[in-house]
Amino acid sequence: MHIVLRLAWRNLWRQPRRTWLTTGAMVFCNILLVFMMSMQFGMYGMMIDNTLQIFTGHLQVQAPGYKDEQKMRQVVPNILPLANTIRAELQSKAVAARGRTFVLASSEERSYGVMVYGVEPEFEQNVSNIPGLVRDGRYLRDHDAAEIVIGSILARNLRVDIGDEMTLLGGGADGSFAAAVVDVVGIFTSGVTAIDRNIAEIPLGLFQETFSMRGAGHQIVVVGEDLDEVPLLQMRVQSVLPAGSELQVLDWDTLQPGLRQVIQADMSSSFFMYFVLVVLVSFSVLNTQLMSVLERTREFGIVMALGLKPGKLGGLIMLETALMGMMGVVLGAFAGALFTSWFTTNGLAIPGMEEMAAQFNLPAKMYPRVNLLTLLAGPGIVFVFTMLAAIYPALRLRWQNPVEAMRVA
Amino acid sequence: MSAVRCVDLCKTYRQGDQDIKALDHVNLEITSGDFVCLSAPSGGGKTTLLNAIGGLDTPDSGEVYVAGQRIDNLSKSDLADLRLRKIGFVFQAYNLIPVLTARENIEFVMQVQGVPASERREKSLAILHEVGLETLEDRRPAKMSGGQQQRVAVARAIVSRPELVLADEPTANLDSKTAGELMELFTALNERHNSTFIIATHDQHIMTYAKRLIRMLDGRIVEDIDQRAA
Amino acid sequence: MRLFGVLFRLAWRNLWRNHRRTTIMLCAIAVGVWAMIFMTALTRGMVDQMIIEGIRTLPGHVQIHNPKFLDDPSISNPVSISAQQSFDDPEIVAWSSRVKVPAVISSERESRGITLLGIDPVAERHISFIKYDEVDGRFLVDSDDKGIVIGAKLANILETEIGKRVVIMSQDPDNDIADRGFRVVGLYTASTGAVEEAYAFVGRATVQKMLRIGNQTTEVVFVGDDYRDVEALYEVILDAVDDSVSVQRWYETNTYLGSMLNVMDGFVVVWIIVIFLALSFGLVNTLMMAVFERVREIGLMLALGMKPGSILGQILIESMLLLLIGLVAGNMLAWATVMSLQGGIDVSVVAEGLEMFGAASVLYPKLNVDDMILASKVVLVLGFLASLSPAWRASRYKPVEALAKVG
Ligand SMILES: Nc1ncnc2c1ncn2[C@@H]1O[C@H](COP(=O)(O)OP(=O)(O)OP(=O)(O)O)[C@@H](O)[C@H]1O
Ligand SMILES: [Mg+2]
Repeated sequence: MHIVLRLAWRNLWRQPRRTWLTTGAMVFCNILLVFMMSMQFGMYGMMIDNTLQIFTGHLQVQAPGYKDEQKMRQVVPNILPLANTIRAELQSKAVAARGRTFVLASSEERSYGVMVYGVEPEFEQNVSNIPGLVRDGRYLRDHDAAEIVIGSILARNLRVDIGDEMTLLGGGADGSFAAAVVDVVGIFTSGVTAIDRNIAEIPLGLFQETFSMRGAGHQIVVVGEDLDEVPLLQMRVQSVLPAGSELQVLDWDTLQPGLRQVIQADMSSSFFMYFVLVVLVSFSVLNTQLMSVLERTREFGIVMALGLKPGKLGGLIMLETALMGMMGVVLGAFAGALFTSWFTTNGLAIPGMEEMAAQFNLPAKMYPRVNLLTLLAGPGIVFVFTMLAAIYPALRLRWQNPVEAMRVA
Repeated sequence: MSAVRCVDLCKTYRQGDQDIKALDHVNLEITSGDFVCLSAPSGGGKTTLLNAIGGLDTPDSGEVYVAGQRIDNLSKSDLADLRLRKIGFVFQAYNLIPVLTARENIEFVMQVQGVPASERREKSLAILHEVGLETLEDRRPAKMSGGQQQRVAVARAIVSRPELVLADEPTANLDSKTAGELMELFTALNERHNSTFIIATHDQHIMTYAKRLIRMLDGRIVEDIDQRAA
Repeated sequence: MRLFGVLFRLAWRNLWRNHRRTTIMLCAIAVGVWAMIFMTALTRGMVDQMIIEGIRTLPGHVQIHNPKFLDDPSISNPVSISAQQSFDDPEIVAWSSRVKVPAVISSERESRGITLLGIDPVAERHISFIKYDEVDGRFLVDSDDKGIVIGAKLANILETEIGKRVVIMSQDPDNDIADRGFRVVGLYTASTGAVEEAYAFVGRATVQKMLRIGNQTTEVVFVGDDYRDVEALYEVILDAVDDSVSVQRWYETNTYLGSMLNVMDGFVVVWIIVIFLALSFGLVNTLMMAVFERVREIGLMLALGMKPGSILGQILIESMLLLLIGLVAGNMLAWATVMSLQGGIDVSVVAEGLEMFGAASVLYPKLNVDDMILASKVVLVLGFLASLSPAWRASRYKPVEALAKVG
């Protein structure tokens, strides 16, 4: 080993307890950072997936203005052929057309306002997880059948069960009065109250007929392999839209601006917390290294008198700090990974958190995601700050002259 | 009356596989008001004996009496009380608490004893005067010379009128002139206050100040001279 | 007591002996305490706002329902208390009885599902989140008002405006569709668009007539002094009514808000402890170094007859002084920060995200004396415990050995 390196290493262990305590502060901070970041990314990923999986998908083709106003006549004309074109272009079945409107749904005993979707029964399951969430009965089958699938809370509120009849009352795209009588064939439970209470699905053919859609719908939903693929998909979908049409291809971020912003808001508050932790650890390092310089003043005085340049000694201090910092990074990342990986298999359930989690389409149990970024970002930042904190002690040496240094007892 | 009495004191240290007898069957009686020099070459057992007498350390066997009270079997807390009330200490160096001024150092023991402030002030000012340091009242140890520091230490040792003052090589860090002055101070205080003094040293010059000179070698008393006769 | 004086003086002077080390440690404690309190104030501010807003838009502090209404929120489950019954107790700041039913609102162009609230505007004035005089157009005047007040965003979606008519459809107790035209008389704005889309207000008597329910209502809401302290109000109301109705506190009606409060309380404690732990390494380190470099003096004091307990006390006092100064500085810093942000922090860049939380786009940090006390307590108590080890070590030195240390 190089002599300077050995010197730095030995100096570190002159005060083993102090070195351990300082390293301990780093390790503690690093474990927390690794855990919290992994947790965050796990949560964000799940939040995006879950939110998009329910209805939104990765992309939607819509009429201009529909996103904000959702008016009945802001339609995608000839929606089924267009959906087929897109399916052909993308070579994917994860493309489905929908209509969407608001109706008053009445059973024998009760009436409630409901958001009803007209869906393509054979494709909807590829873009939404609602079909898979049908617990009682079955999902829609036929494109034109007078059938409906509703949320479980809605079913309870309407006091209906499988096989019961319901009436839908609403307005057609042309402003006419619209009504349909349908049979309940399935009841789904998503766990998200707002969805289980307010949503119903009927076949798109029935929807178009009932609400005078004249072959139109409101949205074509596209789901890709993963989020990174979305910009490319968006371009390809755009390219097959009929020439001169005003239709828009919107990505998930535009469709659900809240999602990204929740993540941003959460990130900024998390980063504030991380920053505070890192600063506190830096103070600890600053203190330790300053003490270590001050208590060696005499010693440094002697070697400086012998002709060693203060810059070299400053370098020694930085080297000692770097060694200590490396220990913090390695031990911290390792312990952090161990600690976090326990939760990646077992999950973390925070009691009392379920309600809040549901608000963001999250399950009650959360699983952190460890990757290279979450593993090394925190410890890396701690290391950088550690080195920054050692600058002042290292520089102090420069301001010292040997005679003065030796006088200090 | 005897101020200190040691009966058959033994203390052995193990060093490696070798037993070192720091105290080897020491029998000793010192009368109240005496001024004793304990002399031995380095490693002769002076510090060990003083520590045993002062209740800082316990011997392996034998008995120690201070002012008629047996102390070698006292509890730690009783020993602390004994040191606080009956014994004054002067060490070779680092005698003073660095964050306290000269007067505060002198008052320290009294303060722990619970002496009221006015009395403390009166006594500490008087003793500062006596040791000739009235001008250094508010100075901290770092700003005093070695001799001045030792004088403050002596003042602290004597101020609460202990029955016994133990000094372990108090002059070791001083030049011979300052050392002489410090010994003069010891002698003067011994005569004025009638406290018993035991001073450990290996300095020939210092020994001349003693009324009684005890020589040790390898943990044993080898000579005991009454110098008053001379 | 006199001994304490000595120890205190020694501790104080020792604290400033290595002023650089002490200053750095103080900075660390102050920053830590600042972060504890500031972060807590931000969270509190947000949750407070959410809850106050949430309570105003929905449940009040305490609500009365028909017990069946909770599972089956239909007009068939009315509250048997007539709107004329009066509640009179100092705990009750305001109360009002409402008809709250799901309904469909339609303009010539669009239909939407809404929650229709039939209210008595006079009684509701101090309960509602709507500031009557800020309503575009006018708010309802009395229970018999024939107009409807809807949210600005809903009006936009329905392509309707003040003076135009809309049709409200709902269900009467016999499950027949009851509908009626209303003239839009006012548009309100709320902190979130979701609220503006969800609620429409009409006169209570008018809607009672439309639904053919006579004097019946579906809920009675009560507002007390402070949402954090609803138990007294709850008791009063429990006494005032009989078993035929169910009485609920706001956190039972809106479990999301209720759990929010608990989660945030938990978060505050966890945050304070995490920060303290990060600090504690530095604290123990500082104390240990302080003890280590003073071994000789400690030996001296022991030799002079000071008891080990006093040495222990001296180090603990030193630690407590350090923490106290840091606490005062940190608290003041946090206070100053919060004061300087009284105008609120504009976070509208992430407004739609916060809307998912139910939070508004301007954050007002809320300094809570209880939180400051909590943080200070945690720091002092845990700090005391963390200091025990170095202090204990200091008091265990043997005087002879400590004196022999070359220092
Ligand atoms: N803690 C200890 N461990 C081992 N041996 C010890 C210890 N303290 C003293 N000794 C041994 O005991 C013997 C007597 O020591 P002591 O310190 O009493 O001598 P001293 O006369 O005071 O010498 P000096 O003039 O150098 O101070 C010496 O041989 C010393 O090596
Ligand atoms: Mg000695």
